[in-house]
Amino acid sequence: MIDLLIVGAGPAGLRAAIAAAENGLHVSIIDEFVKPGGRLLGQLHEEPDGSWVNGVEEAERMYHRAIQLGVEISTGVSVYDLAETPAGWSIYTTDGVRESRCLLLATGASETPIPIPGWTLPGVMSIGAAQVMGNVHRVKPGHKGVVIGVNVLSVAIAREMQLCGVTVDRIVLPAHNLISADASNPEKMMESLLRLSHLAPSSLMKIGGKFVSPKLAARFYPRNGFKIWGIPIQLRKTALEIIGEEQVRGVRIAAISATGSVIPGTEEIVDADFVCIAGGLTPMAELAAVAGCRFHYVPQLGGHVPLHNERMQTTLKGLYVAGNITGVESAKVAGAQGRVAGLSIADELGVLSAAGKEKIKEAVDQTVHTRKHALIQFNQGIEEARHALYTEFQQLTDKKISV
Amino acid sequence: MESFDVIVIGAGVIGSSVAYHLVKKGLDVALIEKGGIAAGTSSRCDAVALICDKKPGIDTEIGYASIQLFKQLAQELSVDFEFSSRGSLYVCETERELEIAQGYVADQVRDGYDMRMVDPHELLDIEPYLAPDLAGGIWTEADSSMNPYKLCYAFVEEGKKLGLKVFDYHAVSEIQRDVQGKIERVVTDRGTFKTRKIVNCAGVWSPKIAGMVGIEIPIVPRKGIVLITEKTSKQITRQKVHEFGYMLSKFEDIHFKRNVSELVEKHNVAFTIEPTDAHNFLVGGHRAFKGFDIRSEIDVMQAIAERALRFLPVLRDLNCIRAYAGVRPWVPDHLPIVSEVEEVPGFFIASGHEGDGISMSPITGKMVAQLITGEPTDFNIDKLNFSRYKKSNAV
Amino acid sequence: MKSMRVQEHPILGNSEKKEAVTIYFDGKPYTAYTGDTVASALLASGVRTLRKHEETASPRGIYCNIGHCFECRVQLNGSETVRACLTTVADGMYVTSLTLPKGASI
Repeated sequence: MIDLLIVGAGPAGLRAAIAAAENGLHVSIIDEFVKPGGRLLGQLHEEPDGSWVNGVEEAERMYHRAIQLGVEISTGVSVYDLAETPAGWSIYTTDGVRESRCLLLATGASETPIPIPGWTLPGVMSIGAAQVMGNVHRVKPGHKGVVIGVNVLSVAIAREMQLCGVTVDRIVLPAHNLISADASNPEKMMESLLRLSHLAPSSLMKIGGKFVSPKLAARFYPRNGFKIWGIPIQLRKTALEIIGEEQVRGVRIAAISATGSVIPGTEEIVDADFVCIAGGLTPMAELAAVAGCRFHYVPQLGGHVPLHNERMQTTLKGLYVAGNITGVESAKVAGAQGRVAGLSIADELGVLSAAGKEKIKEAVDQTVHTRKHALIQFNQGIEEARHALYTEFQQLTDKKISV
Repeated sequence: MESFDVIVIGAGVIGSSVAYHLVKKGLDVALIEKGGIAAGTSSRCDAVALICDKKPGIDTEIGYASIQLFKQLAQELSVDFEFSSRGSLYVCETERELEIAQGYVADQVRDGYDMRMVDPHELLDIEPYLAPDLAGGIWTEADSSMNPYKLCYAFVEEGKKLGLKVFDYHAVSEIQRDVQGKIERVVTDRGTFKTRKIVNCAGVWSPKIAGMVGIEIPIVPRKGIVLITEKTSKQITRQKVHEFGYMLSKFEDIHFKRNVSELVEKHNVAFTIEPTDAHNFLVGGHRAFKGFDIRSEIDVMQAIAERALRFLPVLRDLNCIRAYAGVRPWVPDHLPIVSEVEEVPGFFIASGHEGDGISMSPITGKMVAQLITGEPTDFNIDKLNFSRYKKSNAV
Repeated sequence: MKSMRVQEHPILGNSEKKEAVTIYFDGKPYTAYTGDTVASALLASGVRTLRKHEETASPRGIYCNIGHCFECRVQLNGSETVRACLTTVADGMYVTSLTLPKGASI
């Protein structure tokens, strides 16, 4: 029996492991992927001061620190069931059953697919897949591609693909259907695009700054879009179909109105040998559901999230969550949450000194601070949504105590 | 307030069939369901209509007639419910099982059913992946398969064409009666409906509905877990295959002890497998009383896998991608309840089919429609009358 | 064909030299490098179709590349089904697509 088992070796899992191991806990991490780092792997972006954040290096630093502290990290191991036991948790993995006093789920998020005709063709992949191919495996997803879906991830990763020597022909919206919903609406996408202004200040100031509202901006949006890093972002073009027989050959696109309806007679075929679909992220919370956690649907956090408090405790004893499983945010926020979780667990297991307890509060404040200053804001209203969630948790625990 | 000739409560396979057969008779019918169509047991079951898992007698008789009706329904209903008469194979692990099987087959054949014994060689001709050391089996021609979920939709969609009104996501909270005790109104969380007749098709939840008119139905949820394999182009089996012990595990009064591990014994697991049109295989079977708990328990899953490997070693190479569980409406005497309740005029019950709901749905729907319109039923169903439970305490 | 490998990168630097190994996909040999996954090694060699859909026989390749979608499943050493994106290569690894070639029997 170990003290803490962590599922997920991303920024949240690694930071939690470090915080817990620094306080003397026996910690193991398991991750399904071939190497630790989670979504940090592949992340590459320029800070406002011109320095580059290299996710691979950052993951390596954390990994080595964790190993130094005696944390065991196994990759290529999947979890398929969890069960609460009198002494803690049983975790059923493809590498046998593990027993742990506490369990932290730091499983991150998964990409939301947008099914459009032709999306099963070889050469069509999620935007994150292209990122991992290029930046982690150092293999190009193709030579010339079209990105379908305009959001924080797609614009950032299109830039990363460019750095790999791949041509990103353009970024367009997905065809309107039940699943694409808002992602096919130029006005809504203009709103989200404006949250990217820090990434390409000059280009977006030009287009976004000129107009008072996203609505107007979408209406007067140039049909051929504008360019960020030379990549045309076309909010007024939609991908109707991905074409090809054995693999991707191109994308059939058309112009759309400001509210998203196709303008007849504007169809054309863009040649491409790969296509990336960017549907945004959803917290990956299946294991929390299997464990029996209470859930809440919080659109600002990206979907259904396990109910938890600011100390990262769930409604189940000894079960904690951190990172994107609690809501889609940047890797830095995930890391900060991981540290909170690691310290909270150390506290639950009674190894924190009085000074250590102070650190939890500090770490919680640090998470809020990191969120406030995050470069990438995935959604609006995250802090408010979290506050509501924590209040709900508090009310629930108060009720339990009074009963 | 909307008014209907009959209100059917529960849009599982039984309720859907009953509602369809009632509108076919020209009645004004509402189908009320607390969740979605087929959201309960009917989407958490396997996909077969079986003869061989019933004891000789009325059960088999009605079951056989029901399967015949499926063939007609496959033509009649416009939604394709993936019906196919594949037949099925029961395998006997030991000579002792084979002996019991021979007696059973003899009885059924005497009653006119198409069933025959299969020797170990033919067993492997039929299913080459079976373990080579099995004692033999039974081949039955009549057993059929379908997609239960689509079957519910097939009934409902066809019913709608004939005027059926569906009120899904309407939870019944009260049944009101007039001074004489006759059914008057059904109250739901989203509106009240007038009617003189109710058919309680709520399956495992039917005791709750019956409670609203002061009736106690002895239905208890009996859980079953099913494993789903990954898709494969290997034809692991061509049709449903089960161990003969499936039957033996179903009936508590047959005292037969298999030579199985403690785990398999503890969880009352007997091997079944069936192909699906999606190229995944469903592997079962399991029976347990666990209330309404439908979690997939890992130790039961292990027991199911262990037992399946005994009969089909080839499954070792296939991943289990998921499991699901449902609760069957179990009654102590293994016969469904299909009748009006004497004490509460206008209150009918069609429930308690345990694991036979899918296969019995056509005949049950047909006979409930006959009962309500006052026609003679296809079979004498006195044995299915609710009055057999003396403990009922109508108010 | 232009190389699919990212040899030089302005921020990540040049790829480190890794040991070359041979893997087999549907009987054909391909060069891979230690640390590659089956998916990345095959993509680098221009192989995009990893299987045919069991029902429709439409070609399928990687989609999510991190194990969530199960689109890239292949058969490893003749028995086990694995996700190509989560399986690291080893010298002599024998990978087959799950769909049987036309006319083949089991």
